[in-house]
Amino acid sequence: MATTKEKIFKVVTILVVVTILICAGWIMGRHLGLVPEYDFGAGAYYYADIPGFENIIKDEGYHTKVPYWVHVVLFLCWGWLMYRLWVWIDKRK
Amino acid sequence: MEKSKNVSAFWGKEDWQAVWIGFIVILIACIAVLTKAFDFSAVKFSTWAVGESAATKAVPLAQQLGAWVFWRKLIVTVVVLCALFTLGVKLQGESVKKYIPAFLCLFVIALVVRFISAEFTLNRYLEWAFWALLIGLLISNTVGVPDWLKPAIKTEFYIKTGLVIMGFSVLFSNIAKFGLYGLGIAWIVTPIVIIFMWWLGTKILKIDNKPLVITLASATSVCGTSAAIATGAASGAKKDDLSIAISISIIFTILMMVFEPMIIKAVGMNQLMGGALIGGTVDSTGAVVLAGSALGPEAEQVASLVKMIQNILIGFIAFAVAIFFATRVDKTSEKKVGAGEIWTRFPKFIIGFFAASLIASFLIQPIFGGAAVKEINGVLDQYKNWAFVLAFTSIGLDTNFKELAKQMHGGKVLWLYIVGQVFNIALTLFAVWFLLSGVVFDVPVLDLFK
Repeated sequence: MATTKEKIFKVVTILVVVTILICAGWIMGRHLGLVPEYDFGAGAYYYADIPGFENIIKDEGYHTKVPYWVHVVLFLCWGWLMYRLWVWIDKRK
Repeated sequence: MEKSKNVSAFWGKEDWQAVWIGFIVILIACIAVLTKAFDFSAVKFSTWAVGESAATKAVPLAQQLGAWVFWRKLIVTVVVLCALFTLGVKLQGESVKKYIPAFLCLFVIALVVRFISAEFTLNRYLEWAFWALLIGLLISNTVGVPDWLKPAIKTEFYIKTGLVIMGFSVLFSNIAKFGLYGLGIAWIVTPIVIIFMWWLGTKILKIDNKPLVITLASATSVCGTSAAIATGAASGAKKDDLSIAISISIIFTILMMVFEPMIIKAVGMNQLMGGALIGGTVDSTGAVVLAGSALGPEAEQVASLVKMIQNILIGFIAFAVAIFFATRVDKTSEKKVGAGEIWTRFPKFIIGFFAASLIASFLIQPIFGGAAVKEINGVLDQYKNWAFVLAFTSIGLDTNFKELAKQMHGGKVLWLYIVGQVFNIALTLFAVWFLLSGVVFDVPVLDLFK
């Protein structure tokens, strides 16, 4: 038997799902958020799926004085640290 | 199965097959583009529209189907994919006679998926992953999947091959495109959100399906569908897990693409910070560019830069997930898992993904230039998409609605996404304020806006 708490959770979840689907349908029906000049939308999941992405990201967009290798070292260090944190959290009951 | 024993693991195992099939496609694409000797492009429907609409870029269907080039590309696509996957199936020791007709039928269904998902409204918001799942589900839950079609339903094989091809588009040089600002926003926040969602999902909500939790977490924090595909494959997620994670991500992306820039404008946040927030939180790359452009050109640039850095993370996150699952989730005893065991369990296609990425970043790009890499990726992108459409159609054909509903864990999965996404937005907002508000560091100025 589902408790009252579980029933409330179920009802709220269903209401959220219905609201989200109605909102999404409403947005799609009105073509909201699109740019007429662009031949893609939210359905372009990955950057390579976007026609002319190289024209959107300009190569001269930003120049940093920090060497490339510093980015790589920081990237790897943070990744390693986070992996250790993930393992530590997973070990905790 | 007897036959597969006589073939080495490299040629006979699906995991390694994905690597060499992916590399054959990459090699042919490189030769085609660099020598200009032949056209290796795969077929793709251009956007089409029903009646009069706002679809300014739409190309009438009659025009598309009337062009010889469309049919030539269709023949190239079906021959290349059928030949390579059939070779793989033969080396796995399965029946080629049964596979070829089944594959051709699956390809026709995938072609219908791509045709439908090229329609203006459906293309702009949902695209192929959603329609592949839906059409597959409709077939399997109404008329059913005939036995003769089942040999072609090889979801993991297609996904892994698509991922190896996708690896070529991940360029490491992009990591410094927005300096330490971009790295800070994209890379500091992303793993924290993944760990938070893992903790929330497995410890608080007690969802026992760990591959589903990690697939949803990476879809939320990295870049939606692409990240979910890679992490799902790395963690051994079931077909239903992937369907759920991607469906949730796609639907919420539509909402975030429209409402996030509205809220940013309403609170008066500047374009630099607003763009970075969008780049770090909206799941799909297309939605990021559009939401950024709603704020202005500077926001569009920053949003795209941050998202591009997140796109690089896909391989690293998948690698970490594969190691984590091999050493912690899939281990059968309390003993520490040795290197040999990790290697056995490790999904080999990730090696192919990284190898493709390294070759593109440190070999092809320095020798032939960025323009050549972009052109090669233009060709490879469609093969990647075809492999994924075949995979998602297979998932739909192999799933029933009851199983799918069960995997929602009574709604807990939806709340995991919502709470995780709220946390992602809050943390990214803090990172954006810390790095770009000018309170702590100098405000960066993009060269285009100097």
